[in-house]
Amino acid sequence: MNLSRCTNEKEVAGLLARGGWPQACAAELRAHVSVCRHCSDLVLLTESFKSARAAAASEAPIASPGALWWRAQLRSRNAAVARVRKPILGAQVFALTTYLLIAAAFLATQARHGIGWLTWLEQLPQGSTLHLEALRPATLFSSGFAPILLIPALAVLALLGGVAAYLASDY
Amino acid sequence: MSWESVLPNVFAGGAPQTAEAPMDSDAFAGFYERSARPLWAYLARVSGDPALADDLMQESYVRFLCAARSCEGEVACRRYLFRIATNLLRDHWRRPRASSIEEIPQDYLVANASSAQTDSQAALGPALAQMRPRERQLLWLAHAEGYSHKEIAEVTGLASASIRLLLFRARHKIARLLRDRDANAGRTL
Repeated sequence: MNLSRCTNEKEVAGLLARGGWPQACAAELRAHVSVCRHCSDLVLLTESFKSARAAAASEAPIASPGALWWRAQLRSRNAAVARVRKPILGAQVFALTTYLLIAAAFLATQARHGIGWLTWLEQLPQGSTLHLEALRPATLFSSGFAPILLIPALAVLALLGGVAAYLASDY
Repeated sequence: MSWESVLPNVFAGGAPQTAEAPMDSDAFAGFYERSARPLWAYLARVSGDPALADDLMQESYVRFLCAARSCEGEVACRRYLFRIATNLLRDHWRRPRASSIEEIPQDYLVANASSAQTDSQAALGPALAQMRPRERQLLWLAHAEGYSHKEIAEVTGLASASIRLLLFRARHKIARLLRDRDANAGRTL
């Protein structure tokens, strides 16, 4: 396919762009356009498209720019909220996963050593008076419930409490 | 606790919270007045559907405003707007069409009928209707908007070398259609 242009095409295109065709065009160039296929196509197309553009533009139903501005604002705001909520959701998932893992580890440890809690509960005084000394978990520690397990359990409770407080305030 | 107290800028009203907003509301109103008609003409003539052109034009402006991008001058802003509109048109063409005529709203048929009527009165309409959407796009940008190959490449996302070839073919095709139409009209008179 031959893509070579006519040497006068640029000049004709310039005249068309500036609105100088055909009034501001030299007689020789006009004569050239009448015989040159490239240039006559260019004139025909540009004039047709320019008149179609003017006709279509006059039909255009123009909405209020204020309504578009408001819609754009609303969409920007929603997008910003979504951007902020994404990491928060990630943090919630992470906290929940951590909690579940620690709870599972705790239960697995207790199951391996036998549940000493029940023994300790059975040894609580049955009478009407309850002494503070009786609450000392001697049986608990002797049955494998080491203080090292108490710390992560409390940490989990604190974490869970924070998550619950956040969820309660957010929804 | 509310996140509004932690991140007030995110929830505050007023201008869009972007790093550098493209323009304020007054500047946008001016830009809209100057660019809406050419944009609608482009969308309506390339898609052949004035109702679709309305929708895509509004969506183009909303996306233009939401984009956190500042343009250097109105010409660049207008080019960016045409780029958004071109992408929306492309997305529309890629979407599966309604298979049954009963699924098409009545308004759409009325709009198309009036559009065809308007086009038949113009010289270019019937010839444009025989061109492919991509060809209509390139021809409109080149001859109605007066964009250079480089600018068309920026708007359409095609390579500049491809634009040259595609435009060359499209120009020959539509020029032949216009001449044939003129010749037929001359014979009938």
